[in-house]
Amino acid sequence: MPGLASKRRTPASPPGMADPHQLFDDTSSAQHRGYGAQRAPGGLGYPSSSASPQASFMADPVSSMAVAYGSTLAAQGKELVDKNIDRFIPVTKLKYYFAVDTVYVGKKLGLLVFPYLHQDWEVQYQQDTPVAPRFDVNAPDLYIPAMAFITYILVAGLALGTQDRFSPDLLGLQASSALAWLTLEVLAILLSLYLVTVNTDLTTIDLVAFLGYKYVGMIGGVLMGLLFGKTGYYLVLGWCCVSIFVFMIRTLRLKILAEAAAEGVPVRGARNQLRMYLTMAVAAAQPLLMYWLTFHLVR
Amino acid sequence: MAFTLYSLLQAALLCVNAIAVLHEERFLKNIGWGTDQGIGGFGEEPGIKSQLMNLIRSVRTVMRVPLIIVNSVAIVLLLLFG
Repeated sequence: MPGLASKRRTPASPPGMADPHQLFDDTSSAQHRGYGAQRAPGGLGYPSSSASPQASFMADPVSSMAVAYGSTLAAQGKELVDKNIDRFIPVTKLKYYFAVDTVYVGKKLGLLVFPYLHQDWEVQYQQDTPVAPRFDVNAPDLYIPAMAFITYILVAGLALGTQDRFSPDLLGLQASSALAWLTLEVLAILLSLYLVTVNTDLTTIDLVAFLGYKYVGMIGGVLMGLLFGKTGYYLVLGWCCVSIFVFMIRTLRLKILAEAAAEGVPVRGARNQLRMYLTMAVAAAQPLLMYWLTFHLVR
Repeated sequence: MAFTLYSLLQAALLCVNAIAVLHEERFLKNIGWGTDQGIGGFGEEPGIKSQLMNLIRSVRTVMRVPLIIVNSVAIVLLLLFG
């Protein structure tokens, strides 16, 4: 289009900077340049027939004041929201869980399906804060659970469609049901962690991330069930169930049984045994839920 | 499946109501779950039973007023919309 300047973005820092505190690459440099140059040519490039009502509208002092007032009101509202959003949704903490890249996602998916050869499950720390997920494959993230959840809903719709049982509100029902089970799991685990007085650094968001990893296995099982029938479904689901069980045990052992069992010392004492039972119960609930949420999709 | 977020909310409301109804003097003391019987030594391990009693007492204290509001809203909505 004539008269519109093209926006050119140059990254301020080279990608792949080795600073673990920086969650994302900085691309905020040259965007505002493009906006200023765009507006004036865009206004002048309008055909003259529509220029007069436009010009008269903007020349009217009352409406121009109204525009100015409206824009200040919008700016104030935006400031208020920005200031208070951190109280309800911890936005800065959430950003940590989405600082992923392709290599991390690939390695983590491989770890979820085949966790048997991985040796070191400890999250690396950088000056008292855990390292962002893109630098350590053991760190929990929310990208994979969120994407896997959405993919699970879509695959459920696909499976229902191939059996002529599909209707659009069933998608919402599936989503609501899976979210309800997730919420129930999180609440149950938080309650049992409180009752057993475990002093962990396992935050709620961490827990949601760990519990969301099972959707990956569920998607694999349902897709195989669509392609190869019930046999394929049971094979893949069984494999993913065992993998998730081992993955959860090895990950939660470091978080819940932090002192004793992390070095491989066998657990003794009533307190550690209770924590071990809790870990095993959490890990055993994953295959059960994976089966419960998918068996009605594969016929 | 019929297990939706709404039914989870309903179940949570009913559970919190159930905890709020447990009377301190008439009931909890008789089964030995009164809060003055549990806060024993200040050792390092509170134990599950005292954690539960603490939880019940704090839920009753904190949720008393919000429960009145939420129950009234629920009653009105259920009367209007079935």
